[in-house]
Amino acid sequence: MTLPVLSIALLGFLVLILASGVWIAVGLGLVGLLAMWLVTDIPIGQVLATTVWSSASSWTLAALPLFIWMGEILFRTRLSEQMFQGLSPWLQWLPGRLIHTNIIGCGIFAAVSGSSAATVATIGKIALPELKKRGYDEKLSIGTLAGSGTLGLLIPPSIPMVVYAVTANVSVLQVFLGGFLPGLLVMALYMGYVIIWSLLNPDKTPPRDPSMPFVQKLRQSAKLMPVLLLIAAVFLALILGFATATECAAWGVTGALFLAWWSGTLTWGTLFESIMSATRLTCMIMLILAGAAFCTAAMAYTGIPMALAEWVKGQQLSTHMLVLALTCMYIILGCLIDGISMIVLTAVIVLPMVKEAGFDLIWFGVYLVIHVEMAQITPPVGFNLFVLQNMSGKDMWMIAKAAFPFFILLNVAVIIITTFPQIVLYLPKLAFPD
Amino acid sequence: MMRRFLDGLYLAAGYIAGAFLVIIFGLMMILSVGRDFNINIPSGDDFAGWSFAAMAFFGLAHTFKKGEMIRVGMLIDQFSGRVRQAIELFALLVAGGFIAYFTWQTSKLAYDSWQYFDMSTGVVSVPLWIPQLSLVLGLGTLLIAIVDEFVIVLRSGRPTYVPEPPKSVEELVERVAQGGGV
Repeated sequence: MTLPVLSIALLGFLVLILASGVWIAVGLGLVGLLAMWLVTDIPIGQVLATTVWSSASSWTLAALPLFIWMGEILFRTRLSEQMFQGLSPWLQWLPGRLIHTNIIGCGIFAAVSGSSAATVATIGKIALPELKKRGYDEKLSIGTLAGSGTLGLLIPPSIPMVVYAVTANVSVLQVFLGGFLPGLLVMALYMGYVIIWSLLNPDKTPPRDPSMPFVQKLRQSAKLMPVLLLIAAVFLALILGFATATECAAWGVTGALFLAWWSGTLTWGTLFESIMSATRLTCMIMLILAGAAFCTAAMAYTGIPMALAEWVKGQQLSTHMLVLALTCMYIILGCLIDGISMIVLTAVIVLPMVKEAGFDLIWFGVYLVIHVEMAQITPPVGFNLFVLQNMSGKDMWMIAKAAFPFFILLNVAVIIITTFPQIVLYLPKLAFPD
Repeated sequence: MMRRFLDGLYLAAGYIAGAFLVIIFGLMMILSVGRDFNINIPSGDDFAGWSFAAMAFFGLAHTFKKGEMIRVGMLIDQFSGRVRQAIELFALLVAGGFIAYFTWQTSKLAYDSWQYFDMSTGVVSVPLWIPQLSLVLGLGTLLIAIVDEFVIVLRSGRPTYVPEPPKSVEELVERVAQGGGV
């Protein structure tokens, strides 16, 4: 069987098996089995067992459940109420006023949570009804929430970044550090958009809340201090190299437990729930990673990834052309499947290709995560759209339309980091000079 | 009776997985704090890695039953009734076949490690079949859960892993918090 025929056969099999509702991890494993059965005589089962064992018993991966657990603990505190109360007094003067609490609130929560859905749900729970009560434009309010919620993935800790780092075999820490500045960039883009929109539609911004004395403002925000300190501590530990990603995650859990205890929301019940939620999310991701690890090993035997990488190299594409092609592919994929699956499904083929094209793998991880962010807000299966649909009672298309400007802004962010890769690479280079 | 035993089995395996999460946390904290006080857990990193594997595999059945394994629902959600039942049975059959093969292969791996006295290469030498056993047991429980679901779908036409849509905002927020999506 020639390589093109084999590639098409395997791709067709994958699409067929996934479309029929077979779990993604199983689908990946089956593609691996088929590939090896077609091209090699070596014992397939042994490759399956050993690759999965060596990928699952990795110490780096132990960071994943801990970061997830940290977010789960904080989710169960009163952070969402405190966030709105603490941020709103300071943002009255900006054009767009309290809409900015969505963006900054999500940005802050993103720095303790690795999940976009949890970020949207936590911030939206309070902000959505409060903004509606005050008469803010609902479309803008929903759109900013959908867009900013995705920051949960770009601003570390981040679940898809851990998944990427493990699949691409690069340092989790470096990808984390690479996400910080692009995260701030995306926030700036969002806030800029809200400011311009509000200046163009002055009649759609409700009046200021009654102003309050400075001391009272401070008192309202004081409740946010512990969480800001926790973020600062985790960030410093990462950049100064005090701790490995796994240790950092363990300290994050300790900090989160302390915060929950301090705010009086830590009970045996919430603690137990947070452990079990974190466990389930980890198991789901790990089975996909196991399937992907085997699929990657199997594909290496077929020679498809290398051949494709060679072919791309032979095309002499410019960086921008290759990025454009990949961007189109990821936007289409993002409409159809979820972010984690998107990373692992494409990694087998795309990683050798971009390595051959001379891309920095840390940069590529951040680029990929921005595409995962887009996937969260593109219909029909964007998860943030689904969450907001249920929270606001509006229909999916209205929410997708509200989120569309933020989808465009994420594309702008991709163009900016492609033109200025230093935005991604500055912090990782600072912390790891070699 | 059988129902209660099976549900108890999945939940117990889920609790074991949760316990390993707490163990990873404890290990990492002791390693991190202990460095300043010259306290060290020999092969601590190995133990953390094995605990992770145990956690990830023991929790599979519980995760599967709760409907938190990702799949592409876009196409199959268009169908209901008989057709949907047939689709679910097909998906379960395929998944069951693969997981059965997977379980068998990991047990062969653990058996070989036991037979050839494979030891870990860290400071503390541990027979590798012990941590490898967690893969076999975790996948085995998942296999039981899949067969269980196959019987349920065959009888009632409705799998338990497809959750009812949430009825209130609180319920949705709660469900997202429970790990219903990244």
